[in-house]
Amino acid sequence: MTKRLARLAGTLLLGVAAQPATAHHSFAAEFDANAPVTLHGTITKLEWINPHSWLHIDVRNPDGTTTAWMIEGATPNTLLRRGFNRDTVKAGTEITIVGYRAKSGANRANGRDLILPDGSRLFMGSAGTGAPEDGKAPAGEQ
Amino acid sequence: MRTRVLALTAIAVAVGALAAPAVQAQIRSAGAAEKPAFKAPRTSWGDPDLQGVWDYRTITPMERRPELGDRQFYTDEEIAELEGRATKRMTQNPDTTVQTGLVHAEYLTDPGRHVDESKRTSLILDPPNGKMPPLTPAAQARQQQAAAARTAGGAAPGPAGGKVDSYLDRPLYERCITRGLPSTILPTLYNNNIRIAQGPGYVAIVHEMIHETRVVPLDGSPFSHVKSYLGESRGHWEGDTLVIESRNFNGRTNYRGSGENLVLTERYTKVAPDRIDFRLTFNDPTQWVQPWTVAYFMRPSEGELYEYACHEGNYGLRNILEEARLADKAAAAATKKQ
Repeated sequence: MTKRLARLAGTLLLGVAAQPATAHHSFAAEFDANAPVTLHGTITKLEWINPHSWLHIDVRNPDGTTTAWMIEGATPNTLLRRGFNRDTVKAGTEITIVGYRAKSGANRANGRDLILPDGSRLFMGSAGTGAPEDGKAPAGEQ
Repeated sequence: MRTRVLALTAIAVAVGALAAPAVQAQIRSAGAAEKPAFKAPRTSWGDPDLQGVWDYRTITPMERRPELGDRQFYTDEEIAELEGRATKRMTQNPDTTVQTGLVHAEYLTDPGRHVDESKRTSLILDPPNGKMPPLTPAAQARQQQAAAARTAGGAAPGPAGGKVDSYLDRPLYERCITRGLPSTILPTLYNNNIRIAQGPGYVAIVHEMIHETRVVPLDGSPFSHVKSYLGESRGHWEGDTLVIESRNFNGRTNYRGSGENLVLTERYTKVAPDRIDFRLTFNDPTQWVQPWTVAYFMRPSEGELYEYACHEGNYGLRNILEEARLADKAAAAATKKQ
């Protein structure tokens, strides 16, 4: 599964720092830049939805209960161009999220990094993964 | 795929090498590409054929960085460094200690990793200094008045991210209504794609960001003067170049203060089987002291133009309003306690 994810992982870009960029929604109106959060949990659902995808995870609490969180991700069009589709991320996958929490403290976060149990990055390309810059087609493409 | 990438790279390098002197020669030219060596293929009814899905991602900034002074072109070394840095950002783990202010994790955006093939240091082609022209005195006064109004009576500039009393306070883009022209045709964080479709007497441009189609008559029909977010567009051919003039904007999606009086002129010229030379001229005498022009090359998109039904799951807008109401309640509770 992890290998499959890694193989499918496409080109990923960091924003171009020198270039002023306008985000679709105001980060400052929704999330708290001073409230970083790290969550360990199990994917329950990926909402493949416009304008942004949302990953739902159940975070395990010390007492054995779970708390549902929603994590904001990229627009589905970008994910498609990265070689992903709605079936790439399966429910039940363990994941660690590093992100920023909603200002109100609600169980929502902006996903800054999404890490699988072996340390590989979900949606993150690396050398030899079949990402477009490697010159190998992701599965399902010409 | 590797062959395709290599071929594309080779073409990109070749076109870039050819384009730089050509563009240099045209710095002062108001027209589109002069005497292109390439003759665009024709549609069955004889118009130049621009059809397809076109990608306009680029890391070239709108305005030239001040430290570059009068220099209009990057050196090959600078391009290699800029593109290398952009590629590195794609392949390294994100630095989670840096807050970027973006709604997305940076590595999930898609602004491209190529300097425009013209090698210019700014998307602005004219004026040659690569900067937007100065504002008119009246436009400067409007900006100052607007800034003063925001802080009238010693009021704070407002909550982070802008006023949130109602959804009506939020930008049209955040509300998934439109980015309007010209924003919708300027390179941005992701979804930098258009589809051009043609029929006898018409050209349709589908903007992936954010889900608009402009159907542009080419028959010389007059403007109706009905105002709208995307304005009204009329087109004609000048040789191989499609020229589209747009006006009658409703002023609600104004670009840097320019709205109702803005006249935009787009020029699309196919200069190679896989390149469109695109020019966009801004003319608003009530805003800028002179017209100015942006230019960049479009390439065929590697994939489809995907539907971006923006309001489908616009949780962001709901969340922003919810956050603001929760903050109001917290503030009211704190006042009560005092």
